[in-house]
Formats: sequence, structure tokens, C-alpha cells
Amino acid sequence: MRIVLVKRIRPLPLGGVLIPLFSIIIGVLISTVILYVIVGASPIVTLSCVASSLISPEIILTFLFLTILGVALLVAFSGSIWNIGAEGQLWLGTAAAAYVALFTSLPQAPMVAKIVMVLLAMAFGGAWAAVAGVLKAYLSIDEVPVTLIMNYIAYYIINYLVRGPWLGKETWGYIRTDMIPDQVKFTLIPGSTTITYEVLVLTILTIALTYFMLKYTSLGLRIRVLGSNPDVLKAAGVNVRVLIIVALAISGAIAGAMGAAQLAGYLHRISYPIESHTANYGYTAILVAWLSMLDIRAVPIAAYIVSALYQAGISMQIAGVSGASATYVFIGAVLLTFTVLRVFSEYSIKIVRG
Amino acid sequence: MEIASYILTVAPAFMAYYLASLGQGFFEKSGVLNLAIDGVFVLGIAIGYAAGVYSGNPWIGLLVAIAAAALFGMLLAYVTTKFPISHGAAGLSIMFLGYGLAGLIGVTARNTYNQLVASGVYPQYTLPITPTARVLMFVIPILIGILFYLVETKTKLGAAIRAAGENPHAATALGVDVVKIRLIAAAIGYSLIGAGSMGFLTWIATWSEGAGINHGWIAYAISLAAGRHPILTIGTAGVFATLATYMFALQAAYNLSPEIAKMIPFIVAIGAMVAFMATPLRKKLAPPLSLGRRFFKEERTV
Repeated sequence: MRIVLVKRIRPLPLGGVLIPLFSIIIGVLISTVILYVIVGASPIVTLSCVASSLISPEIILTFLFLTILGVALLVAFSGSIWNIGAEGQLWLGTAAAAYVALFTSLPQAPMVAKIVMVLLAMAFGGAWAAVAGVLKAYLSIDEVPVTLIMNYIAYYIINYLVRGPWLGKETWGYIRTDMIPDQVKFTLIPGSTTITYEVLVLTILTIALTYFMLKYTSLGLRIRVLGSNPDVLKAAGVNVRVLIIVALAISGAIAGAMGAAQLAGYLHRISYPIESHTANYGYTAILVAWLSMLDIRAVPIAAYIVSALYQAGISMQIAGVSGASATYVFIGAVLLTFTVLRVFSEYSIKIVRG
Repeated sequence: MEIASYILTVAPAFMAYYLASLGQGFFEKSGVLNLAIDGVFVLGIAIGYAAGVYSGNPWIGLLVAIAAAALFGMLLAYVTTKFPISHGAAGLSIMFLGYGLAGLIGVTARNTYNQLVASGVYPQYTLPITPTARVLMFVIPILIGILFYLVETKTKLGAAIRAAGENPHAATALGVDVVKIRLIAAAIGYSLIGAGSMGFLTWIATWSEGAGINHGWIAYAISLAAGRHPILTIGTAGVFATLATYMFALQAAYNLSPEIAKMIPFIVAIGAMVAFMATPLRKKLAPPLSLGRRFFKEERTV
């Protein structure tokens, strides 16, 4: 008797809902066991931390940022382009926005300055991602190592700027830039200390425009076909090379916009070194895009669940362990479970005799 | 003699980066895209530290770090070869797990360490760093590297690993058990990554949460920069270990910013990837053809 994986004729009905749901439950249970075995965290405490994070208002900002980044990655992933460089793209966006806010005279016209901050951030994020696109399109160099490595190059470029030419005048001994001028900080919505009108608008615009682009434009159609059957595109005379570069550039531009939003909406300055101050949203968003099963309508749901897990890790108080470690366990366990369970959306298990 | 002591200072960093990048290249030759390296490298440091603290013996730390790294590597090889799943997603999820487990295990061990120190016991968790030991930190990894070069080019196992990485379907038809070969490549490659972790722990000497994060990626870049070639990797690992060790001295002497020094391995890695794809070096140093591709037909016995 053997257990065999057989390709399904049609994808598993409701697989798009059931598989992510089961993965999250199993992943959280695995994390609970790990936390209990290694540091003796009571399963009741772990599970109640997860449950209370699901309704905690503290997750909203993370949720919005992860939604934007999830959409950014979804664009590339839809074309089977594995952009794992959102982290570097978003930080370059943050740097571009900081340049506008700190070193130009634009903040005298706040509305213009905010728009230019976001646009320049998009240009930088997009251009950074496009480098990997060019290498993939013209030299068939795998985009995975390139986008990943470029994250670190971006970190160190910004570290160099913050330690050197961008070092602030009023930093109280910290290595960081000055605070951006008050008038270009995004406007807090009443009653919140983290959520701003501009970030809300940016999130909604990102989802709406990307949905429209993917669903109703020929560019969107081509990106989706690039993911499923690139030979058809070549036969139809589409320039696949340019398409790869454009898809990566759009993905990077959206990530860059989120970088501007993180500066103007929340951080207000860049602190050295980036690699210890980053929230690692660029990497966490990979889980968001992946859990959405590349359906843009599911991105906010995936972002909501991932931001709750993110918060659950931070809110867990384990003797001497930072929240980051618990968060990593949650994210790793859910992502690994989902990566494996996803198989059953397209394959079924059969038991064969003999 | 002064030059000799300058060189010996680099030894722990060289051991860390060279062994980890050698293991990385060896494993990727079998066709599995290895994005778990940074997480497992960080985990190896924490587990080696914990085993050293609890046993008081850094050699037990080395063995445990090797065993733990090999297990995680085999997990990655197994799931990516047995199931039609994304190598990148599987690797990154093991990376996240590695970071998380490292924090939990390391902090627990550090609490124990502090209690031991308070009671007057100082467990030895770093490898010896006498001049002789430092010489060995160069000699043994280089000998291992030469051995790996011979295994890759002259043995049946090496041929099977390359076949699994270039074209696993053809390899299967020729009677190679791809799953078994990738598990072996993972066990061997990740053992080196675990041993590299202990070199890193010895280099930094004190464990803190997050120790080693990003350094696995440096090993990844070192391996890419040398086209996964065991002998060329000696050169790239030597240069980058020297840069990393003397980062601040270089700033003082030549005004080379540490930020630029840290960036160099990553830029060289991208430059090397371009060179290996765009020039005749392609024949020898291009990545395995099926690296990161799903290995699957219509059905499969689990």
C-alpha cells in the first residue's frame, strides 16, 4: 500500500478559504507547543495573546502597512516573479521621502511636499526593483537572490547617509536624522496616536488601483498570463522582457510608497542602523501575499491575520525574550504549514494498493 | 610577526564565513534554493551557545550546532523535493522559525549562564583561540574545502548531486534517488553551516538576542560571488572575513566607511552573478539549471 499525491482536475473547492484557515490554526498550535517546551510559556497565555491581538486596535497600523506591501508583492507574484526585496524597496522609499522632507524647500507647501514625497519614494522603490527586473529579463539571473541581496545594499546605503551627510543636528547623541518638519507629517485621525488619514487613503487607493490594473487593463492581463503561461505571450508578440521589468517596477513602486507613509505617518525620522530598527515588514509581507493565494480581495484578510500574529508575539511577555522572537516563531510556523498544505489545493491524496 | 598576528585575528571570522558558504554552495548544487541559511546560521549560534553553557564544553556545543543545523537542512530538502512547493517560501519560513527558536533558546541559556556566573562557575562555550587554534581555524576549513572540491568533481556522490541540481528528472531516469541525494547534500552542507555558526560565536564571544542575523546572508553572498566553487570560495570568504574583522580599523586608516565595507560582499555577489551569466565563465560557474525549480510529475508516492 502506498500513499500517492495526485493532481486534481479542478482546484479543491473552498481551498482558498479552508487551506489558509487550517494553516493558521495548525501554525498557531505548533507555535504554542514550541513556546511551552522551550520557555515554559503557558498555552493558555499564548492562545489568549493571539485571541486578544485579533481585536486589539494596536494592530491597525501594521495591518495597513502589510496590506499595502501585500498588494505590492501580489503584483510581482501574479507574474511568477518572486520579489523578496520589498524590504529594501520600502526603505529606499523612506529615504527618498526623508530627502524631500529634510533637504528641500518643498515642505513650505505641505500638500505638494507630501505628494512629492510619495511619488519620489515610488520612483526610487520602483527603480530599485527594476534593477532585478533587468537582470532577470536580459541575463536570466534569478530575481530571488538579487532582490534579497539588494535589501542589504539598501540598508547600508541608508546607514551611510544617516551616519554621514544626513546626521541630524538635534539628535541627543543618537545616530539619526532630524525630525521631519511638522507640516509634512501625516494628519492623525482623532482618537488615534498612530493612524493617519493619508495612510488610510493610500491603502485604499493601492488596493483599488491595483485591482483595476490587474483585472481590467491589458497590462494586468499580461502580468497574470506571464505567471501562468509565458509562452503564449511570446507567441502573441508581447515583449516579455519589458513586461518583467514593468511588473517588478510596479511592485517596487508600491513598496516605496509604503516607505514614504512609514516615514511621514509614523517614524518621522530615520534611526541608525536600519537593520536593528526595521519592523521587517518587507519580509513579513511575503507571508501576507502568499496567504492571500494571490487573490487581491484576500490580501486585507491575510494582512489582518498576520498583523494579529505579529502583535501577539510582541505582547507576549516571556522572561527576558524580546517580542520579536515569539513573532518569528508564529510567522515561521504558519508560513511553513501553509506552504506545505497549499499542495492540497491542486493535489489530492490517494491510497493505492500494491 | 606583526603581519602573522593580523592574519590570525581573522581566523574565527574566516572559519564562520568559509564553512557556512562552502556548505551553502554544496547544498545548492543539489538543486534546492537555500533561503533558510540565515535563520539556521543564527539558530546554530544560539544552540551551540546553549549546549556550551549547559555542558561547559564548547566541543559539545559544536556537535550540537552541527546536528541541529543538519536536521533543519534536511527538513528543507525533504519538503521541497517530496512536495510540489515553492523553495523560496519553504526556505524563508524555516528562516523565520530559526530566528524565533534562536531567541527563545539563547535567552533561556543566557539566564542559566548568568546564574552559573553568579555562583562562581564560568562555563566555556567558545572554541579555543590560542595562536595554534587560530592556525587550525584556517587549515582545517581549507582542507575540508579541498576535500569537498574532490567529492564534487571526482566521486559518484558528487556526480549524483550535480545531476540532481541540473536535471532531476533525467537523474531519476538514470537511477539517482533525488530525494536521498538532496537529503545527503543537505545533511553535509548544513553540518558545515552549523560548524560555521560556532566559528561565529567564537568570533563575537558574547551571545545576545539576534546574534548572527544577516551574517548567514553574507555567507550566501560569499558563495554566490564564487559561483559555489569550493576553492574560489576560499578567496571570497578570506577577503570578506578580513573586511568584516577590520571594518573599524579600515575606517581609521583609510577612511573607508564601515557601511561601504559591509556593502561590498553583496555588491560583488551581484556583479559575480552577472559575470557568470554574461561571460564564458557561464560554463563553469553558472547556477545549477534546476535550482529552485519544483521537482514533480503528475503524481508522487509520499
